[in-house]
Amino acid sequence: MDYDPMAMDDAESLGPVVKISQADSVRVKFELSNADLAFANSLRRVMLGEIPTVAIDLVEIEANSSVLADEFIAHRLGLIPLNADGVESLLYSRECDCDEYCEHCSITLNLHAKCVGDENMHVYARDMVPSGDRINQTLGTPVIVDPEGNGPLILKLRPGQEIKLQCIAKKGIAKEHAKWAPSAAIGFEYDPHNKLHHLDLWYETDPKAEWPPSEYADWEEPPQEDEPFDYDAVPNRFYFNVETAGNLPADAIVTEGIKVLQQKLAGMIHELTEGEGDGANGDYNGPRSPEYNNAGDGWQDQGYTTPYGNGGAQSSWGGAGGATPYGQTPYGGQTWS
Amino acid sequence: MAPRSTRKKAVEEAPMEEEPTSHQPTAEDEDASMADADVDQEDGEEANPEDEEEEEDEEVQRVRILPGSTPTAASFEFLEEGHTLGNALRYIVMQNPDVEFCAYAIPHPSEAKMNVRIQTYEGTTAIQALEKGLRDLQELCDVVTDKFTVARDEFSNRMAA
Repeated sequence: MDYDPMAMDDAESLGPVVKISQADSVRVKFELSNADLAFANSLRRVMLGEIPTVAIDLVEIEANSSVLADEFIAHRLGLIPLNADGVESLLYSRECDCDEYCEHCSITLNLHAKCVGDENMHVYARDMVPSGDRINQTLGTPVIVDPEGNGPLILKLRPGQEIKLQCIAKKGIAKEHAKWAPSAAIGFEYDPHNKLHHLDLWYETDPKAEWPPSEYADWEEPPQEDEPFDYDAVPNRFYFNVETAGNLPADAIVTEGIKVLQQKLAGMIHELTEGEGDGANGDYNGPRSPEYNNAGDGWQDQGYTTPYGNGGAQSSWGGAGGATPYGQTPYGGQTWS
Repeated sequence: MAPRSTRKKAVEEAPMEEEPTSHQPTAEDEDASMADADVDQEDGEEANPEDEEEEEDEEVQRVRILPGSTPTAASFEFLEEGHTLGNALRYIVMQNPDVEFCAYAIPHPSEAKMNVRIQTYEGTTAIQALEKGLRDLQELCDVVTDKFTVARDEFSNRMAA
């Protein structure tokens, strides 16, 4: 069979193409084409779960006479989007030298409200006051986008009730907790006409009549009436709809996402090349090139060994192959001759 | 034996190829290397006994070769990685014409581990193929970043006009 793995069709050799169809303060819609599904999905996953942002992680409650329980309020506070502008210069708390938290790895926000009037009082995110040194004046402040400038409602107080607490916001990623997610939602779509049959649409009588066309249906050629199924076809155009929660601009989510992906790769490359350099064959083995193994064909031997240096088929007490420590197989004599 | 045989096969065939006694020197070698490793470890502890714990935290090897690998056919285990890296890496390594086979798996969902199997043709090694794959993927990321930045700037210019 003639097969040239380097052969690419002309369209593919141009490399990936990005087209933006809509962009504003909350969302960016774009089309990624000439890319593979695997890459597009990696981008989607990384934007959803691995972009660092800041969110309230610790709450120290000094006074709470509201009707809501402490942990209930703490949970609500955690979900308030905080501005993540400049988060790259903030340290992860676990990587910081401080004991618990400090200005290098956290932002402190104070909330103190008491209802002194005779009507119920609303406590909003805007009432939280950042304190202490910060990397910049926006990092960690609650995101406020509503026309009244209130931000999310945290709780309500009846006359005489009081809330006083201190919040510690930390850097984190959404894989650990969804409160660190930069995006409210990421739309991801391909093949609007379902030509690839990746979807099996449920229907009563006619799927065409019952399923509304995708908003991208006009972007791609609809299938012909009796078009045969193209089993070689692969998805090629991907439609993203990245909506921000307010902590990062929508376009920054995309660029940050790619950056995080690249940092992952750089870390792996670093480990691979470093392992070659120092020639350390010990402990938890990094990948090595053959030369660093006990010279020559040691690699083949390595085949049956565990990372801890024993022969794979051996017990950890040094016995050979199927042998007991006393040099015999558990089944008696040596039977291979 | 062909270098590209599966691990299972290799283990089964091992006793057939070698006399049982031939394991003995190997075992001694392994013991010796283990002893070396122990010594190395002790040296490390003596050098900086205080920040030993921190050192360990920082130097976790996140990628290793699984046993049963040969130069042209290797399985790699990545810690703390998943489909995000795995699928894209698999795709990009497959694009390399020197690669005969590449696949990834997450053996168990509750273990943060991802395995990548790479088998190459003669002339390159699985490690080289993996490294090339990582670099190619980085390049692809660069291209997409560039394209996105250009498209965004174009879009904002169009909006302003």
